[in-house]
Amino acid sequence: MLRKTFVLVTMAASLMAGAMTMRAQDAGALLDLLVKKHIITDQEAEEVRGELTRDAAATSAGKLKLSSPITEVELYGDARLRYEVRTAQAGAPDTITRPGENTQRDRARYRLRLGLRGTLADDWFFGLRLETSSNSRSTNVTFGDESSGGPFSKGSDGINVGQAYLGYKGFRDFTLTAGRMPNPLITTSMIWDADINPEGISEQWKHTFNLSYGGGQTSAAAETSKDGKNVAPLLSEPHKITIDVFANFAQFIYDDSNPEDPVGPRAVSGGRLVPNTDAYMLAWQIGARINFTKDMYLQVAPTLYNYTGNGDTFNVHFSGDPNFLNNAVPPVSVARNQTGINSLLVFDVPAEFDWKFGEVPMRIFSDFATNFEADDRAAAAGHPDKGDQRYAYQVGLGIGRIKQKHDWQLEVFYQHVEQFAVDPNLVDSDLYDSRVNMEGFAVKAGYALSDAVTFNLTYGYGEQIDGDLGTGGVGDAFTLNPLKKYQIFQADLNVKF
Amino acid sequence: MKITHLALTLGLAFLSTEARAEKLVIKGSDTLGAKLVPQLAEQFKAQHPGTTFDIAAEGSTTGIAAIIDGTAQIGMSSRRAKPAEVGAASAKNVHMKPTIVAYDGIAVIVNSANPIKSLTKKQVEQIFTGDVADWSAVGGSGGKISVYTRNTSSGTYSDFKELAMKKRDYAGGSQKMAGNEQIASEVGKNANGVGYVGLAYTKASGIKVISIDGVLPSVSTVHAKTYPYARPTFYYTNGEPAGLAKQFVDFTVSGAGQRIVAQVGFVPIQ
Repeated sequence: MLRKTFVLVTMAASLMAGAMTMRAQDAGALLDLLVKKHIITDQEAEEVRGELTRDAAATSAGKLKLSSPITEVELYGDARLRYEVRTAQAGAPDTITRPGENTQRDRARYRLRLGLRGTLADDWFFGLRLETSSNSRSTNVTFGDESSGGPFSKGSDGINVGQAYLGYKGFRDFTLTAGRMPNPLITTSMIWDADINPEGISEQWKHTFNLSYGGGQTSAAAETSKDGKNVAPLLSEPHKITIDVFANFAQFIYDDSNPEDPVGPRAVSGGRLVPNTDAYMLAWQIGARINFTKDMYLQVAPTLYNYTGNGDTFNVHFSGDPNFLNNAVPPVSVARNQTGINSLLVFDVPAEFDWKFGEVPMRIFSDFATNFEADDRAAAAGHPDKGDQRYAYQVGLGIGRIKQKHDWQLEVFYQHVEQFAVDPNLVDSDLYDSRVNMEGFAVKAGYALSDAVTFNLTYGYGEQIDGDLGTGGVGDAFTLNPLKKYQIFQADLNVKF
Repeated sequence: MKITHLALTLGLAFLSTEARAEKLVIKGSDTLGAKLVPQLAEQFKAQHPGTTFDIAAEGSTTGIAAIIDGTAQIGMSSRRAKPAEVGAASAKNVHMKPTIVAYDGIAVIVNSANPIKSLTKKQVEQIFTGDVADWSAVGGSGGKISVYTRNTSSGTYSDFKELAMKKRDYAGGSQKMAGNEQIASEVGKNANGVGYVGLAYTKASGIKVISIDGVLPSVSTVHAKTYPYARPTFYYTNGEPAGLAKQFVDFTVSGAGQRIVAQVGFVPIQ
């Protein structure tokens, strides 16, 4: 009885010390060992096990029940409070707003993302994330922006499914994912807004190669090992690098056409048959990460994007120019298309070099993209002479990295995105207000107030590149087009859990 | 006055009869309840005249539930109570007290005509999860494997999942049987059948026991825990047993009780 009491007290103390994360079942191995060593009997072990199970069942964790196919599950998420100021100045060729006019938008915002991801039996995995805001490029909700429902209305405070995916890792080096997923491609904010969770399927392959290239020399003079054999001692450690070679392929359903097979003849709209095929975005990425040391690596991930099919939302030819006043009396403002995905065959090369300067993590990052079909895209936009507006690039420097309390980081980069270079529906919605034909710089600084709470400041400035073109894309805060000048300031308090 | 006296006499006689004819309600595991506990009860009745038993062997889950609900004094179980069951019991101020009454080995059985004599643990997992569907994949002479399992209220059903199948689900086409004897009977009739039974049920005709990683279930391998599918079996009571339940539990773990345990085919606790 004394032994059992001792074991029970000891194990209960272990449970407390482990902040109740150690489950009663985990004590089984220890109890089995005690029985095997004849320190306690099977019956005593069983009674201790019963006590621990009862104690564990009384805890919050003990009341949580997971279905048996789930082998691991993680609850995670983050919340953010943001204050933001954006300013913009109108410019030519806007015929509606007088060039030089300024506009400003101040917003207090929040976002919440709550996710559940885990692994299932037989190498399957899953993920689900709920997010505030239904906007594909933002999870923010603006305080007080509802126009009805009274003050503090909940009209814009929605819960949306941001991620819902299922995957399989049963084939060596492969990860297959289907659903609404975290972006499987290595990319930058120049091409993809980080809030976008694309829908479709992806196939990822990654294999690590270990290479030795010299070093590890041994002395000619033999030494004697413990077992009496002659061995040559090592003079230096061998030089090794590891190379992660990867290939990421994606077939995203960009726009669903509805219906594919209409009743009766296909309708005609604007003199064109209404499209009846889905639009897909296809991505092929093949790259490598060369790890020179544990703190130094170079990663390059060349990617080709193209689009197939029509869909029924993004099939009108992209213009990017501002609205214009027609000849009606009185004149009417007519919108031009800002979202078309015609003639986009984009080759993109994101790259990054990381190292440590003393104890400070450093990184240089860049991205270069060109649209091989920019001539056609420009011509379809009514600017056959602007096919040269096909390039986009970004180059930046990062110092420090936030991992825990009191860590800090600073990042500065310059970005230049021409009008017909990339898909305007995917670019970052903050810097340059979701627009192309913009160039400028951004500075971001962050500090960890605790392991879970960080404070971030961001400032960005951008200008219109080609004064004859609009700044294409659907604006985030402004409908003004073009943005001759644009500024953004954000102060964020983030809580990660 | 005479009538009052008669009524009083009859009443006392009735109460006296009721006091002598105590009833013990035992519910739960088919593994324990189909053979072992009835034989223990017979012997116990011989020593305690007037005692009656109500034994229902419908699966370990029903035995544990009966203790939680207070509808039995003893719950037979071939598996440990699950955390959810212990939690549910605590919510009703029921203290699930386990008493090991015997050890058992879950024997994997095939039809006696099957040439297979041994399997690895991995092969057992593959067979019962459906990863392998033909005997030729595990060294047999071919033929679609018919998997027989216990039903979901059985402790053996969940113990086997945990001990042999890494908690994976049974094969989609597996057939669920009510008890050990039914599994042994079906496997004995089906040349491609495979199933599992408690050690006490391995003497049925038409079946043979397969060694697992070279170890056959036996008293010595179960005691030494070298047989991979060895397990304790339990009586569950609400706290320390009292009265007739205590007497029966004590009898079960006594030398006389354990001799019956061995005779029936289980492995005694000493």
